[in-house]
Amino acid sequence: MSQNKKFKRKATVKVLEERCKGCWYCVNYCPTKVLQVSEKMNSKGYHPPVFKENIDENVVCIGCHLCELYCPDFAIVVEELE
Amino acid sequence: MSQMTDMRKTEEEWLRTERLPHVWCPGCGIGIVLNAFLRAVIRRNIPKEKMVVVSGIGCTGRTAGYVNVDSFHTTHGRAIPFAVGVKFARPDLNVVVFSGDGDLFAIGGNHFVNAARRNHDLLIIAVNNFTYGMTGGQHGPTTPTGAYTTTTPYGNPDRPFNIPHLAISLGAPYVARWTTYHVNQLQNSIYKALNMKGFRVIEIISQCPTVYGRRNSMRSPMSMMEYFQKNSVINNKASYEEMELTYKGKIVVGEFRNVGGIPSYEERYEEIIRRAQE
Ligand SMILES: Cc1ncc(C[n+]2csc(CCOP(=O)(O)OP(=O)(O)O)c2C)c(N)n1
Ligand code: SF4
Ligand code: SF4
Ligand code: SF4
Ligand SMILES: [Mg+2]
Repeated sequence: MSQNKKFKRKATVKVLEERCKGCWYCVNYCPTKVLQVSEKMNSKGYHPPVFKENIDENVVCIGCHLCELYCPDFAIVVEELE
Repeated sequence: MSQMTDMRKTEEEWLRTERLPHVWCPGCGIGIVLNAFLRAVIRRNIPKEKMVVVSGIGCTGRTAGYVNVDSFHTTHGRAIPFAVGVKFARPDLNVVVFSGDGDLFAIGGNHFVNAARRNHDLLIIAVNNFTYGMTGGQHGPTTPTGAYTTTTPYGNPDRPFNIPHLAISLGAPYVARWTTYHVNQLQNSIYKALNMKGFRVIEIISQCPTVYGRRNSMRSPMSMMEYFQKNSVINNKASYEEMELTYKGKIVVGEFRNVGGIPSYEERYEEIIRRAQE
């Protein structure tokens, strides 16, 4: 399996859930599709994205920060792993 | 911490976070433009006390209330005259006008034209969402011919302004256009323009899914973004005809003019003062 590994996980994503308005730019523009719409709802009724952790070793965050750049609501913080 | 993570954390200091979430609708492009703008300012290492943001009235005009620097939320159409005054009183400040298409080109059109002609030292961030978002989606001077709005239910008969062409014809030293899809190019363009003098114009084609997209079969935020993504063509050497925007047609983007060395109005004025004192 490990020979098939395409990406190395570089970062993690913190979502400031109360700021999210559910536009899904982050989910759509994540190149490795590591974000998904969550089931949970914030106090305004929007479903913030959730970071998929360790679902598949090829589905990893590469720390490109695109989700952060596209978020119109300043709801995402990408933090590099040390 | 990486540089990018550092940047994101610094961004919070440049926002009046106690006012977030902001008023803009889900997927509204204005927040993407503000995000790119703040990153460019942070990269330029501009101290907060050396930056002033001036906005007019409209959804875009609300920006003045979210930036954690001295800012003015002026009357409708008058962002540029206010900004000219700020720059005259304090030539050491970076003065940025951040406003909407209706504010800058309808009621404020005459100010735009004359400030550009005089080459006032201002950076103009013009968010063009093809409509008056705040008041419910009327057509304005940037609405493409044929587009549906509350005031053009059978399609818009007007021809829209070609903003880059207008700015270039008036001698603006820096003129660019991007869409909110072009987050990196937009940030780099603002970064460059922040380091120049004179009347710098960056037009950003932005989505208003709520009142514009809805009437033009682009109801969801992603459908407007996909339109920008699929229809944009980067061409820095575009002709004026190619820069023209049409309904659902190609969107030619790029850095259309970047010319250094043209004295700004403020520089010429200083020269007049010097001569008068001799
Ligand atoms: C003197 C005056 N006339 C009209 C209005 C109503 N008005 C408020 S915002 C607006 C248009 C805003 O359009 P735009 O600048 O494109 O901003 P957007 O909301 O699209 O970001 C108008 C006509 C006003 N506030 N003041
Ligand atoms: S940083 Fe890049 S890879 Fe990681 S979640 Fe965001 S968009 Fe996806
Ligand atoms: S881009 Fe931002 S506002 Fe939009 S769904 Fe993602 S976190 Fe929420
Ligand atoms: S009405 Fe349009 S321009 Fe105004 S906040 Fe909503 S989406 Fe943005
Ligand atoms: Mg508008």
